[in-house]
Amino acid sequence: MLSKIMSYKTSYKNISKLPLALFVLIILGGCSSSASVQVDRTFPKVLGEPKPVTASIVFAEDFSTFVAQPNENTVIDIGTAQVQVLQNAFAGLFNDVEFVTSRDQITNTKGLVITPSVREVQVSTPSDNYLNVFEVWIKYNLAIENADGVAIDSWFMPAYGKTPDAFMYSKTKAIEEAAVIALRDAGAKLMLDFYRIPAIYGWMMEQQILEESQ
Amino acid sequence: MSPIYKIITASSLLAILAGCSATTTIDEYRPSGDPIELNADERVVVLGRRDAGHYETDREFIDCVAKQMKGADIGILPEAQFIDSIYPWFEPRTAPKGLPRLKKLMRDPSIKTVVDNQSVRYLVWLDGSTETLDKGGSISCAIGPGGGGCFGFAQWNKLSVYEAIVWDLQDLQEMGRLRVDSEGTSYLIGAVAPIPLLTPVKSDACSSLGKQLKTFFTAS
Repeated sequence: MLSKIMSYKTSYKNISKLPLALFVLIILGGCSSSASVQVDRTFPKVLGEPKPVTASIVFAEDFSTFVAQPNENTVIDIGTAQVQVLQNAFAGLFNDVEFVTSRDQITNTKGLVITPSVREVQVSTPSDNYLNVFEVWIKYNLAIENADGVAIDSWFMPAYGKTPDAFMYSKTKAIEEAAVIALRDAGAKLMLDFYRIPAIYGWMMEQQILEESQ
Repeated sequence: MSPIYKIITASSLLAILAGCSATTTIDEYRPSGDPIELNADERVVVLGRRDAGHYETDREFIDCVAKQMKGADIGILPEAQFIDSIYPWFEPRTAPKGLPRLKKLMRDPSIKTVVDNQSVRYLVWLDGSTETLDKGGSISCAIGPGGGGCFGFAQWNKLSVYEAIVWDLQDLQEMGRLRVDSEGTSYLIGAVAPIPLLTPVKSDACSSLGKQLKTFFTAS
């Protein structure tokens, strides 16, 4: 009987230690310097007047499933999000646009063929930059060809996002916010600058598209 | 405790707590002294500037100012809703920094339609940040088998500087600007238990700015 009571006491002691152990674990987990970020947001449609241009956008599998590892402690899954952002932006640029996963699926016989890719992703945290901000840079490259496969340009498109460091804001959450802002910036950069690329301007003059759209 | 000790203790506590209030200064400029009349169907949107390199006007502050204004029956459109509806023309890269760029944007019929459909008449740009200026003192905490505690004294100064600029989206002109500077010192006293005496610098800047912005508008 006595031994039974003793064992109850021991198990009761262990149970009372469990919340304490969990609490300590949660605190230590909060101090962890690694971040695994999944960007899972809905991005707005762009507000713009598309030009009368036909385009085929090739989102290769390695682009739509892209997971960046800017440093050994940080992993950012931006594949799905970047496809959504660029789909919205290209739909605002061209009035006839198709999205495919490889070049052999293209059905358009004219216009542009654009293949986006990610060159590099960089992350900076308050411990790196000595500022109270988390920063994310996503460097894109757009390979632009005509329907016959002749290269028109290879356009470097950097996007940037930052978010303030707030009290009790986890590193993961802060990097996700900065990545969302960087992705939105990519859409903005595309809308703002795509038709300013000299090679695109020249191609449109050749195709007499500018006269049509004016 | 004798009455004299009670008086001394009470006055020391009062002196410490009085030290925890922020000093706030507001500068205001507007071309006309009359308040701006808002129709029942007209709304205001409060937006944060996010194009500076080393700081960002935080969303928490913008929400706080918007809440202060909402309390005065002023129709407020949430920042995120406005920015999403007009994407990508009010992103940090593309947002108009001056009236000439705003005029150019509003000449675009698709942008003008979205602004009109949401009945947004005035836009309030908020730009600024709260920074810790200097810190002093030290506090250390220890824990052992017999118990634990914190001993020492620490203090830090915070400064909030924010500027608000009001634009009229119909007449495409500036209606006025406000600047708020709020400064205060917070203390942390370690007397076994840590006792924080925090000065709400940012919330003081928010309430002062919100109250002053309310005087810009009257709901008709």
